[in-house]
Amino acid sequence: MPVLYSEVLLDHFRHPRNYGSLNAPDISYESFNPLCGDRIRLELKLDQTTVQEARFKGDACAISTAAASLLTELLTGANLKQIAAISDEQLISALQSDIQPARRQCALLPLEALRQGLSEHR
Amino acid sequence: MDELFDDIEKMARAEKRVAMATLVATRGTSPKREGAKMWIGEAGRILGSVTIGGCVDARVIAESEQVLSSSEPRLVEMKLADEDAWEIGFSCAGDLDVLIEPIDIPEGKVLDLYRAVRTAVDHGKAAVIATSLKDSSKKLLLIEGGEIAGTLGSAELDRAAQSMAFESMRKRASSTVSLGDDALPVFFEVHGPPPTLIVFGAGHVAMPLISLAHDLGLRTVVVDGRPRFATRERFPDVDELLIGIPSEIAETLSYTSSTFVVLTAHDYKYDLPVLKVVLPAKPAYVGLLGSRRRGKAIKEFLRDGGMEERLLDQIHVPTGLDIGADTAAEIALSILAEAVAIKSGRTSASLKERK
Repeated sequence: MPVLYSEVLLDHFRHPRNYGSLNAPDISYESFNPLCGDRIRLELKLDQTTVQEARFKGDACAISTAAASLLTELLTGANLKQIAAISDEQLISALQSDIQPARRQCALLPLEALRQGLSEHR
Repeated sequence: MDELFDDIEKMARAEKRVAMATLVATRGTSPKREGAKMWIGEAGRILGSVTIGGCVDARVIAESEQVLSSSEPRLVEMKLADEDAWEIGFSCAGDLDVLIEPIDIPEGKVLDLYRAVRTAVDHGKAAVIATSLKDSSKKLLLIEGGEIAGTLGSAELDRAAQSMAFESMRKRASSTVSLGDDALPVFFEVHGPPPTLIVFGAGHVAMPLISLAHDLGLRTVVVDGRPRFATRERFPDVDELLIGIPSEIAETLSYTSSTFVVLTAHDYKYDLPVLKVVLPAKPAYVGLLGSRRRGKAIKEFLRDGGMEERLLDQIHVPTGLDIGADTAAEIALSILAEAVAIKSGRTSASLKERK
């Protein structure tokens, strides 16, 4: 049974992977939660249709930050078709935590940035 | 600061000749600090004050009229009490020196000097006017960044004044200093941009904090990630409203010995990344809204991330003075009172207790 905040979630919050910005990213989108103030900007550098580099930056809660960090790992090396197919459940399960319904939007904020970024890129 | 420049312009519009009285030295207790100014127009207008009114200002006015009549500057030494006040114990028990200079408005020399200072300050730079107290027509203007105009009479004095001016800019305090082999008394009059309050978090405490800071003459900035909170409607007095990733915005702001930073979000997601940026920049004050316990947890997290203890010690948490603050406005008052006291190097104790 998943714990409230798994070791994976806490590790990605304390030591976020791929944190920072890219020089001239091909895809960039900043998503925010208007009430709690979580803000995540996701940036991707593409090599044709493959994600060469993924970065994120933002001030957000532990769940959002860990989800963004995990998402950048899922994105790196994947092609546009594959990243467009990443589902809500795929990202939430990667957190290995018991994400309550009220906190799903925190976990899905980076995915929203990805989807909005992809739709602007098309 | 703006008040001083406004007074100069008001006088320039209304008078042809003006006496400029400047408090250049204080000994003992004085209600105003060095640099306080009073303007006495030939046609009778009075603006500003070198004390808080009373007998000293009255004497400055009388001396100024003589300065205007003789066209000769004078350095006047005064006690902050008349004899009657001393006898019945109403004296402030301090002495002060006031330089009174005749200013010819159409000639424009002094007016231009202060206009140059105002331009520098408006561009965010500090400026110092060094004035020889033996011959007040000898003035040297030094602007942060290296621009220099005028002279104190010799290259040696100008060099000595230059290093002293930078020290005065750093301390943001006007004072009289002896320069050169002959110990020439020179008054260093420091001007600089107003202190800035940067508030991270546009919540309910931030609103009275900004209003009160505005009334105190501070430049104010509010940073938040939420456009619905960081609005002009909620912050009608704020100078800058910045919306985005708070820690990223924090990296773009400048922090000086006149910058107060207060984190009012009461949320680790803003507090932690913003403190990582702000603490190494060493502003005058860093206040964090929250309990002692919360402060301890925040510091522990930053310490684990490699933040040095000397930087963590800058955080005032809980922020503010112990005045029993309950409402948002009272909390704002307690925070600003603590910030001003720290910037001024004071203890925040009651004035009644001050020796």
